[in-house]
Amino acid sequence: MPTVTVCPTGEAIYLAPDETVLSGLYAAGFAYAIGCRRGGCGICKVDLVSGRVAYNRTIAETVLTADERAAGTCLTCRAVPSGDITIEMRHEELRLINPLLRQLNERARFRATSVLSGTEPKE
Amino acid sequence: MGVLRMGFAHVRVTDMAEAKEHYANTLGLYEVLEEDGRVYYKGWDEWDHHSVVLEEGGVGLVKFGFKVQYEDDIDDIEKKAQSFGCTVERMSEGENPEVSDGIRIFTPSEHVFEVYHSQTLIGTEVGTHNPESFPRHLVGVGVPAIDHALITAADVKGMERFLTHTFGFFATERVQTSLDADADYIGTWMTSTNQIHQLAVIQGPQGKLHHFAFKPADWTEVGHAADLFSMDEVSIDIGPTRHGITRGQTVYFFDPSGNRNEVFAGGYAAYPDRPVSIWTPDKLAKGIFYHARELNDSFTSVLT
Repeated sequence: MPTVTVCPTGEAIYLAPDETVLSGLYAAGFAYAIGCRRGGCGICKVDLVSGRVAYNRTIAETVLTADERAAGTCLTCRAVPSGDITIEMRHEELRLINPLLRQLNERARFRATSVLSGTEPKE
Repeated sequence: MGVLRMGFAHVRVTDMAEAKEHYANTLGLYEVLEEDGRVYYKGWDEWDHHSVVLEEGGVGLVKFGFKVQYEDDIDDIEKKAQSFGCTVERMSEGENPEVSDGIRIFTPSEHVFEVYHSQTLIGTEVGTHNPESFPRHLVGVGVPAIDHALITAADVKGMERFLTHTFGFFATERVQTSLDADADYIGTWMTSTNQIHQLAVIQGPQGKLHHFAFKPADWTEVGHAADLFSMDEVSIDIGPTRHGITRGQTVYFFDPSGNRNEVFAGGYAAYPDRPVSIWTPDKLAKGIFYHARELNDSFTSVLT
C-alpha cells in the first residue's frame, strides 16, 4: 500500500497495490504534463528522490535509457512503486483538478494507516 | 501516374500481445501474416496484402511504404531522389513479404520511405463481384483502410521541396510563419491524388512519427470509434473533434506502446490547381483542433 510523496509541495498520495504512479496521481485528483500514458513518449518523467519502482511493461530503451534509470528518472505511466516513494516534479507543480478525489484518497490513506496500526475507527 | 498512396506503415511495439489486441480487436484489422517477429495486417476494404506491419522491440516508426502505379515509376523516383541528394538503395522482391522490388529512400527528414509497385493481391473482404457494402461481421471499429501519416522534420520547407520533386506531391494546406512570400513553413499537408493528404510534415525532431491514420466513413463512425476506445480503455489523446486544416473529423489515440493513431473521416477533394490554404501561427490551434481552438500539451511534444 505505497504512499507517493510529491516534492516540492510534500503532497502525500495513497496508491492502490500494482497501480502506476501516473494512474494513482490522476485517481487522487491531480494532473501534470503527460503524453501517451503508454510508455512511448517519455513526457511524464519525474525524478525519483527516494524509494524504488518497478516497471509493469517492457520500456523501450529509446524512451528510458539505462543511464536515466540509474540516475533516478521515473517514467510515471509505467512505474509501480515497490513501497513508499518520493518523487520530484520536473517542469511544474502537481495541479489539483478534482478536490473530491483528493478527499477520497486522503480517507483511503487514513483508513489504511489505521488498519496497520490497529486503531481502525469503528464504522 | 507515380505515387498512388501511402501503402503501409511499419512501426515498433514494445509488447506484441497487447499490440495485436489493439490493432486486431479494437481497430478490427485483419491479420494476414505473422513471420520473424512481425505481424502484418490489412483493413477490410484494402486489396493489397498488408498496410500495417508491427515489429516487437522498441517504439516508433521503422518505415513507410509508398505504392506507385507502374514499375517504371520506380526508376523515375530513384533518379529524382538521387538528384535531390538522398541516399537510395535498391530493394529486392520479398525483402518485405509479398511486396515487389523497389527502392528505399533515406529522406532529408531522416525517415525511411520504401517505394514499390505491387503487393500480392488478396482482394477486399467484400470482393469484386456484386459486392456488399461492408462485411457483416466486422470486429471493433472495423477500419476499412489506412489513410495518411504525420511525421516531424527539422526543415519542413525542405521536406515539401523533397516531396514535390521526388514524389510529385503538391501541398493542399500549410502552416506558415506569415503570409509573406519568404515565410518559413511550420507544417505542410501533401498528396498526389484527390485524397486531402497522404503525408503531412510538421516542424520537430528528425525521424519521428506523430501519428498514422485510418479512414472511417464519416462523423458517426468517428464517434463510434471513440465509444469503443472507452470500452477498451484505449488512451485517447483528443476528440472526437474536427481539424480546421483538411476539415477532417478525428480522434487521436495511442496504441498500447504509445504510438499515436488517428481515425480520420472527411476532408475535401484535393486538386493540384486548387490554391493552397494557408494558416498563420496565431490560428494554428484552430487549424489543428477546430472546436477547442487550443493546442493540448501533447500535440507538439508527444512523438514516437
